[in-house]
Amino acid sequence: MASSDNSETLDARGPTPVEGSGLEVATGERERVAGHTFRAAVSAKNVFLWPALLVVLALSIFPLIVSLYLSVSRLEFQANGIDVRFLGFDNYASLLFGTEQDHFIGVLKPLTPVGWIIVAVVAAITARAFVSYLRGVNVRLLGLLLRAIAGLLLVGLVWLFAQTLFAQGGRPGTLFVTLVYVFVGIAVQYLLGLGLAVLATQRLRGQRFFRVVFLLPMTITPVGVAYMFRMLTDTGKGPFVPLFDLAGLQNFAWVNDPWGARIAVMIGDIWQWTPFMFIVLLAALEGQDQEITEAALVDGANRRQVFRHITLPALLPVTTTVILIRMIEAFKIIDLPNILTNGGPGTATESLTLEAFFDWRTLNLGRSAALAYMLLIVVTLIATAYVNLVRRRVTATA
Amino acid sequence: MRNGTRLGGLTWLAAVVTVATACTGLSSSGSPGSGAISVNILTFTGPQIAEPLQRRAPDFRTANPNISISVTTVPFSDLYQKILTDVSTGTNSYQAFVFDPQWMGDFVGPGYLEDLSTRVKADASLKWDDIGAFFRDFSATYQGKVYTIPLDGDFHMVYYRTDILAKDGLKPPETWDDYLAIAQKEQGQDLNGDGQGDYGSCISKKRNAQAYWFITSIAGGFIQTDGTNQGAFFNTADMKPLVQNEAFAAALDIYKKTGQFGPPNEINLDVGDTRGLFTSGRCALSMDWGDIGTLAIDPTTSKVKDKVGAVILPGSKMVLDRSTGKLVPCDATTCKNAVNGINHAPFASFGGWSGAINGKVSTAVKDAAFKFLSYMSAPEQSNVDVTIGKTGFNPYRTSQFSDTKLWVKAGMSEQAAKDYLGAIQASLQSPNMILDLRIPKTQQYQQVVLDKAVAQFLAGEIDRDTAMKQIYDGWEAITNAEGRDKQLSAYKASLGVQR
Amino acid sequence: MRTLFRRRSALDLGPVSKAISYVLLVAWAFVVLFPLYWLAITSLKQPIDVDSGPVYLPGVDFKPTLDAWKYILVDLQSDTVRPYVNTVVVGLSSALIALILGSSAAYALVRFRYSPRVGVIGLFVGCILFTIVALALGAAVPLAVVSAAAVFLILYQTVGRRFKRVLGNSDVAFWLISQRMLPPVAVVIPIYVLFQRVGLLDTRQALIITYVATNLPIVVWLMRDYFSNVPIELEESAAVDGASPYRIFRSIVLPVAVPGLVATFLFVLVFAWNEYLLALFLSSANAQTMPLTVAAQNATRGPQWWYMSVLILIMILPVIAMAVALERYISRGILVGAVKG
Repeated sequence: MASSDNSETLDARGPTPVEGSGLEVATGERERVAGHTFRAAVSAKNVFLWPALLVVLALSIFPLIVSLYLSVSRLEFQANGIDVRFLGFDNYASLLFGTEQDHFIGVLKPLTPVGWIIVAVVAAITARAFVSYLRGVNVRLLGLLLRAIAGLLLVGLVWLFAQTLFAQGGRPGTLFVTLVYVFVGIAVQYLLGLGLAVLATQRLRGQRFFRVVFLLPMTITPVGVAYMFRMLTDTGKGPFVPLFDLAGLQNFAWVNDPWGARIAVMIGDIWQWTPFMFIVLLAALEGQDQEITEAALVDGANRRQVFRHITLPALLPVTTTVILIRMIEAFKIIDLPNILTNGGPGTATESLTLEAFFDWRTLNLGRSAALAYMLLIVVTLIATAYVNLVRRRVTATA
Repeated sequence: MRNGTRLGGLTWLAAVVTVATACTGLSSSGSPGSGAISVNILTFTGPQIAEPLQRRAPDFRTANPNISISVTTVPFSDLYQKILTDVSTGTNSYQAFVFDPQWMGDFVGPGYLEDLSTRVKADASLKWDDIGAFFRDFSATYQGKVYTIPLDGDFHMVYYRTDILAKDGLKPPETWDDYLAIAQKEQGQDLNGDGQGDYGSCISKKRNAQAYWFITSIAGGFIQTDGTNQGAFFNTADMKPLVQNEAFAAALDIYKKTGQFGPPNEINLDVGDTRGLFTSGRCALSMDWGDIGTLAIDPTTSKVKDKVGAVILPGSKMVLDRSTGKLVPCDATTCKNAVNGINHAPFASFGGWSGAINGKVSTAVKDAAFKFLSYMSAPEQSNVDVTIGKTGFNPYRTSQFSDTKLWVKAGMSEQAAKDYLGAIQASLQSPNMILDLRIPKTQQYQQVVLDKAVAQFLAGEIDRDTAMKQIYDGWEAITNAEGRDKQLSAYKASLGVQR
Repeated sequence: MRTLFRRRSALDLGPVSKAISYVLLVAWAFVVLFPLYWLAITSLKQPIDVDSGPVYLPGVDFKPTLDAWKYILVDLQSDTVRPYVNTVVVGLSSALIALILGSSAAYALVRFRYSPRVGVIGLFVGCILFTIVALALGAAVPLAVVSAAAVFLILYQTVGRRFKRVLGNSDVAFWLISQRMLPPVAVVIPIYVLFQRVGLLDTRQALIITYVATNLPIVVWLMRDYFSNVPIELEESAAVDGASPYRIFRSIVLPVAVPGLVATFLFVLVFAWNEYLLALFLSSANAQTMPLTVAAQNATRGPQWWYMSVLILIMILPVIAMAVALERYISRGILVGAVKG
């Protein structure tokens, strides 16, 4: 359901094949050129795409509709199975305005000046993007409407965010804790992954060893990683206890401090998922034509220039993709906070999915589904904004 | 051609996978021996609980060749929704469960569980009357009918280090004030001879773990005075929660204060962690189920063999007046069950692993499943199993206390066995034992509302009064949504109160 | 040392950069390996060694024991082997199927232009809703499906063609990736019911189908970028020579995209290998996978760190072997070599 909304938003840009790839202007023409020879293309076109679409469709439509319905109802266990009672928007209302507000959104307090600045900056950027769309050639009513809604939601989200984090006595709820995990986590993972991929493509001995080693964290089951970090971060029996003692922190426990605990969760997440960025970027770097780089170096360009003007632009399409994929996955972060701290201290490390999980495992499926849909809305909003804004930038540079 | 060799690895892989997939169809269709009644029992993966079931299944099969028992296990944390999903969608993959009797509230109403009353009465070898009165009449029973067969006895006790308390001339705690005083005195002392300061008290405080049971164990002595069927969670007249009063406030304060005399990261320790700390000699006091007793005699886990004593949960000299919400001193009318002027209310938290039978399977299968559960619970089997640490079974039968020989054989000293069994017996025979909450949506009351508020209070996110208000409002919201009358009658039914 | 620091081509680093690079590489390798070392030594500890404070060197500050290994591999032999085989079969099959379906879809999205009509999509969704409502009202399954299909065809032929608005390839791709946005807790019960109805609960097939569906979007997205870097001239000349699209895809495009294929294969393998929640619900006795066994080590006695360490180690060994075996495919020169022909 929601995905067809996305499609609408994207559609407003007009149909352009292969977003984010450097070839996109070319492909359209190529297809026409090749059209004469690709006689079999008509059937191939369907054979290539449809199996994948059908498999995904078969397993996604039903759960999507069922959980939408669950999110507006309550479950009862009856002698002959489950009775689903329609409730209306109660589940959503309690999250946004009711008893669960301080849990889901957080404790809202008046903004500090820093908070005002952040909100103003985001509002200005959004307004600018909106105006530049208005000035464009391809303005349509539906596109305009959806953009206006998306922009308002985005600014509203940032405004709420600032009220929990950049305000005296405010406390972020699961929604904003999740956003912190996602943005900090991805930024660090990408930079680390890129740095490591560049290092691992240099002509050095032992690269095969490093490449395999760097891949390792990703191969461990997330539940296992979470338990491993619980062991490592334990301030009573973990390996870093002597270090803490040396630093005079015998009575320090990261877990008593909300930010200490959140940082521990983020470190675990970064440790596990940097390899994802690393290997995709590595494969992309290895796929690049070395002769261009070599020629540029021979012509007297320094490495930084080569990296800035040749390597980086070529990595952009893949960069936008990995960031999008990781973003979607990172919003679902659950195992680390669940096992490392069980969401504590208090609710400080609880992610949105974890909140949904806690409700789900006590079979409060209605509220759990409502939370999942709130997450879906936020992710869709951010992903759409990301695809629109970043894609344009990438197209401009490529 | 070069491309062909490069793809060689992938092609090879494809071949392996194809063969493997082909095997899938062949191997996943195993069926139990033909002609036999097969009973699939679901419980959690452990050495605990699952081990004795699996170990004794072959013996049982020898005696009953027409019954084949298989035990399926899932991770502990996911057992509840796994069972409930299975029965509520009508899948019925399992014919019997070994689970937490607390969940009865959700299972009995819709008829997912078989009423075992007549079977229990007819079965002499089960020795039903040997089972502790509390487990027989309250834990296994709902609305006057028997639904589960106890395999394990669970309640909280306080453990202490006999050597440390003797050295400092201290007596085991009788009230929570005593407990705090001892914890304060021992905090920072070296308790295991490694030159490092250790901890006065270790009580798990982790969120979404066991904290909601521990807070009830502390509050119990303040709240419940008139015996098990008075109840410690709700007022039996109008289903109003008993969580916004001076008694609960005192309990919250005590729970938080024990943290001052514990490990700095206690807020993130679950009961597994605190057990490890206690058995490795780093804590003077701890509150736990019966497990520490058997873990302490296992040389691979323990440095405190024969240095562990246990007592009934500390009580209180002040108890709750339910009409005013204030604390009043203990006397003959306010504390009918007091010992030396102290009101103890041992808490049967969790309730002990028990066997139950799916109500939707055929009578022959039900009989077969009952036979196995009865076999497991019969004294011949169970009296041995409760002395073995890895079974996770704790004592619940009178005959398991009468004889310390089994315990000495298992590795306890005579004195330790006496101490351990004495504490268990004192708790078990207390008429004022607290029955754990078991009404529809129990998990939401405890694991979601109570647990979150306690965690936020311990972490300093909210103050005591806000925490109590949050629990009160949260519980009222669930009660109202479910229907007050329905919940009240379920609560009374669980307590055995006659209408 | 001379060979280590000798400079051969413009791409080689100078000695200082080389040294810095090594320091950084080794530093991150340490960050990655230390936790794994800790797992390895934890698997050799007795519970008491874990609980009484950190010890680091087996044989030096604690006495190593193989008790945990023995328990997992010998005492629990069948309970370890069964989920292990399941994990291997489910992981490899689902990763390979997802790779095949996903890379062809990705290629299609790069090279062909699709323009699904909004009206038709809306119609399709409407008919699915119709089916579900019909089923909820108690209609028989075949009846509901057949009548919904009939309604769809009739409306498609008459009304559907009038909605001319079309979507593009990027919308198809976005729809695919958006299927990963709902957290697993929201979809696990419906998927459970789905497989219960078709009688596939507790089979490897159910897990394979589920993992293929959940991992396909990732394959499509990653492979799209690799394919779009493949020069179209190669394909054009092959097409001129009369090669079919399938042959071009198999013989020209796939070999050139091997680094991407290998990287993507490793991802989806790892995702399927390690997935927990869906595996928990879709399996009971026969089809359980290893992540369940790992999670199960936290029971009433708290996490059994020693057993957990053993399980995690034996779980990652095959993946490491696979990574070592496939690493050489992510190596330099394949694209260049192919372009030169």
